[in-house]
Amino acid sequence: MKRRQFVRNISLATLSIPFISDGFGMKAVNQKLFNFSTGAEDRVLILIQLNGGNDGLNTVIPIDQYANLMVQRSDIIIPQNQVLTLTQDVGLHPVMTGMKNMFNAGNLSILQNVGYPEQNRSHFRSADIWSTGSLDVNQTNGWLGRHFDAIYPNFPEQYPNPTNLDPFAISMGSEVSATCQGLMGNFSHTVSNPFNSFNLYEGGFINDGSYFGNNVEYVATLINQSNEYGARINQAATAGNTLSTLYDPLNSLAVQLKYIAQMISGGLQTKVYILNLSGFDTHDGQVDDLNHATGTHSLLLKKLSDAIAAFQDDLQLLGIQERVAGLTFSEFGRQIAANASFGTDHGDAAPCFLFGSCINAGIIGPNPQISNLPNAQAGVPMNIDFRNIYASLLKDWFGVPAQEVQALFEHQINYYSIIAGCNVGLDDIDSGKATALLYPNPTPSNFTIKFNNLVEGMVAADILDLNGRTIKRLFSTHLYAGIHHIPCESSDLAEGHYIVSIRKGDQAENLSLIKIS
Amino acid sequence: MSLNPYVGPWTKKEAGHLLRRTTFGATNQQILDAVNNGLPATVASLLQVVSIPPPLAFDPGETIVAQGTTWVNSVYPAQVVASNNAESARYKSLAAWMMQNINQESLSITEKMLFFWQNHFGVSAVTEARAMYHFLELLRQNCLGNFKQLVKDVTIDPSMLIFLNGASNTVYSPNENYARELLELFTIGKGDQIGAGDYSNYTEMDVAAGAKILTGFQVSGIRSSTMTATISTYTPILHDTTSKQLSYHFNDFVVANNGGSEYSDYIDVIFQQAEVAEFICTKLYRYFVNYDLTQDVLTTVIPGMAQTLIANNYNIQAVLQDLLLSEHFYYGTLRGTIIRNPLDMLFTVLNSTSTTPTFDLVGNSNVYLTIYYAAENMGLSYAQPPSVAGWSAYYQVPAFSKLWINSTTIKYRFDVVSGILFAGLNIAGNNFKLNTMGFLNGLSIPSSAPDVIDDICDVFFPETVSLVEKTILKNILTNNLPDFEWTLQYNDYLADPTNPIVLDPVRQRLELVLNRVFKMPQFQMI
Repeated sequence: MKRRQFVRNISLATLSIPFISDGFGMKAVNQKLFNFSTGAEDRVLILIQLNGGNDGLNTVIPIDQYANLMVQRSDIIIPQNQVLTLTQDVGLHPVMTGMKNMFNAGNLSILQNVGYPEQNRSHFRSADIWSTGSLDVNQTNGWLGRHFDAIYPNFPEQYPNPTNLDPFAISMGSEVSATCQGLMGNFSHTVSNPFNSFNLYEGGFINDGSYFGNNVEYVATLINQSNEYGARINQAATAGNTLSTLYDPLNSLAVQLKYIAQMISGGLQTKVYILNLSGFDTHDGQVDDLNHATGTHSLLLKKLSDAIAAFQDDLQLLGIQERVAGLTFSEFGRQIAANASFGTDHGDAAPCFLFGSCINAGIIGPNPQISNLPNAQAGVPMNIDFRNIYASLLKDWFGVPAQEVQALFEHQINYYSIIAGCNVGLDDIDSGKATALLYPNPTPSNFTIKFNNLVEGMVAADILDLNGRTIKRLFSTHLYAGIHHIPCESSDLAEGHYIVSIRKGDQAENLSLIKIS
Repeated sequence: MSLNPYVGPWTKKEAGHLLRRTTFGATNQQILDAVNNGLPATVASLLQVVSIPPPLAFDPGETIVAQGTTWVNSVYPAQVVASNNAESARYKSLAAWMMQNINQESLSITEKMLFFWQNHFGVSAVTEARAMYHFLELLRQNCLGNFKQLVKDVTIDPSMLIFLNGASNTVYSPNENYARELLELFTIGKGDQIGAGDYSNYTEMDVAAGAKILTGFQVSGIRSSTMTATISTYTPILHDTTSKQLSYHFNDFVVANNGGSEYSDYIDVIFQQAEVAEFICTKLYRYFVNYDLTQDVLTTVIPGMAQTLIANNYNIQAVLQDLLLSEHFYYGTLRGTIIRNPLDMLFTVLNSTSTTPTFDLVGNSNVYLTIYYAAENMGLSYAQPPSVAGWSAYYQVPAFSKLWINSTTIKYRFDVVSGILFAGLNIAGNNFKLNTMGFLNGLSIPSSAPDVIDDICDVFFPETVSLVEKTILKNILTNNLPDFEWTLQYNDYLADPTNPIVLDPVRQRLELVLNRVFKMPQFQMI
């Protein structure tokens, strides 16, 4: 099985269960058990779009350029003594304490000067370029849409189906994401609130009992019923969990990320989540003229930083941090020089943040070089082509073979090493790097053991509590040599941490299992 | 007029309501024109019957006439396989033509009325494509005309004679099928059963008498290789020449033998009953206003309509004029009462955006056939109603138009619309896509994001949507940017309208808005 299977839930035909149940602790294989997807294929990408064009130079501050920045943007510059220092030369906006902590913990990397050649400063065109991952004006499909199209060429006909029960991507809000536009359909499903997955009353509709009101409610209910994704999303969010206390309920981005944590931990197999944070078009009043560390932009950055830090905290508490990586981006950066309204105008390149426990933390790319002479309309020159970031994520996070990634892009890809570690996954079993793992984990009900049986023989597995006491026998059976996916019943377990012990002869492999509600 | 005339405000809201109910989708400009022209002039314009040129052959199965010419008055091939192929080609041509007529309708009630009558008479296209064409033309030309005369003409129309076995109804073997539906479904309507074989408005005795009255008609020329038309003929020896006794519901009237004109005499007798006008007016009311017959409607509106109909010798135009000008028609509580049927939904998407296929005859015909099949998949196969009673959404109590939507058809609605909207439908080598930019450029102030959203809501929703909803839509349009950014982008596009760099972003933002609009429950109602 290739790693690109990440995006393809395992098909029935590839499931091999060549053993005979002894009937103890095991249920007959049924359709429900096939619903679980597979471990390393559980990787999730979070995309956070900063709408309007984020001012990179007030977000990630090139400290070594401070004197020249003062020449260019004294009206809006962050006081140097307030900059949160990450390294000697690079600092963050003072409100971004959450992300600073993530950086120090190795969960954040900064990609400097990201853009594309011949920057287009129109919001709309530039957003299209970022969505399509292409400079070709005739390319109307999104970069993720093309990727999904390559795997599911007949979408949306006959989706969802028993092997693809969940949306491939979820766009938080009311709008499908242009990144997911495929040839025949858009692969993203909109969700404002997974607990009300149809968004019936999102637009403020109230059934006043009129004929019209009753009709709307009737149709809405039917849409809801027909919305098979909606039921799955609702089910996952309800089954899922959230443990962090850092989420601010007034921070809309944090609320959405919390929903995402609930959906992921609840077993939803969606691969991509897309979020928007708007308001970055800070032509005026970007900063408070009396206190440059406050104002519109600082509120947005605080929202972003707090939300992502809370989300990362939650993922770690839930034990699913290795499944999730996230990227922030904006259609362009802003000009180096401030304008006369305590703001900045449309510019060129800007930094992106990559976060997660499996990313290659650090600062990628040099600081921008700021001239000591004001230069009307100058932006930050592009150093990293964003298309290479997308391509690197597809290859190293989603495991898409390089030649398939190249086929999705018009330009010659130059990969960046932005993903590191966390390579223990199902494919590591295939490649011999591991012998067993559990999926999904944490699990709201049942789980599957993927096990590479090197030599034919008896194999037994038990669930133990943390004190090593056996709680139940999962199976004891004769297994042929080869890789097995063995469905196990655990819906009867209380919430908590357990050990799954797989024994063969005098050897045992103990794996951690987290049961959630 | 018998109904109180409407004298309230005449804005896009009321004008949009009128056009949504009487056409298959109006553009923003048509709604604005209606506002400017005023209510009476708009109704006068809507109540003009539009003539349509006949369908053209496009499918290679047609071997009698050349592609691009019409087959409606042509023979069939003599050889069976060739004849079958020609019939298949003609039905395709007919189906595409019916869809094209709706797509290219002018500001007229004609197509909505044609569908009303198709539903009313319930004739399915089973006899022959040629005969079906002429039946549809009969309905079209008389769609606003004299109801009594229309019933007479339909009674001896070849398609009806075949469909309800009138052609095999003879003195030797009477067949009650048409006689029963004539009373039950087409004219006086079936009331509660108040006695053995007595349905309030007629009895089994009337059905039996009617069957005898209608004996003697036959159909000749079906799929003929020598006759250029399928026709009805009256054969005197097959007619029952006895006198026919009607029940007390018709004042014990005795219909005397009158040969081939006797059916007309009988229909005259039926139409002397006031229930006929109430029956057809109830059906018109439910089609154009609301399924629910409140006390006020039963005591005032329908009797008023019936009075107008009788006073105008069963002229349908008069009663529709009364209704469309009435205060009742514009009651706020009566907006959004009807769930769009599949054709209404599909053609509102197309017609309100001035989207028509612009390929050659074959290409366009294939697009229209695809639309025909799409509607069929959603439960409406035009000219092929599921039964003689028509589509259940027009009679099934209490659900009525709710029956158009179920969890399968709603998903199909969304999938079809998404296809047309974003990538376009690939049909026989052509890409058929929404005319997004034509639609945008036809709005009042395309460069103003709030105005664009206001117009979209005026065109597609029967009721005012909340400010919250409008804000959601506007944020999609502007991609959450300040409104002026949309203005700048639109002006950039205007300055260089064929340059995809400035064109595509504008188009895509609007398509994302429409994607939400077309999937909102509110869009599914008129």
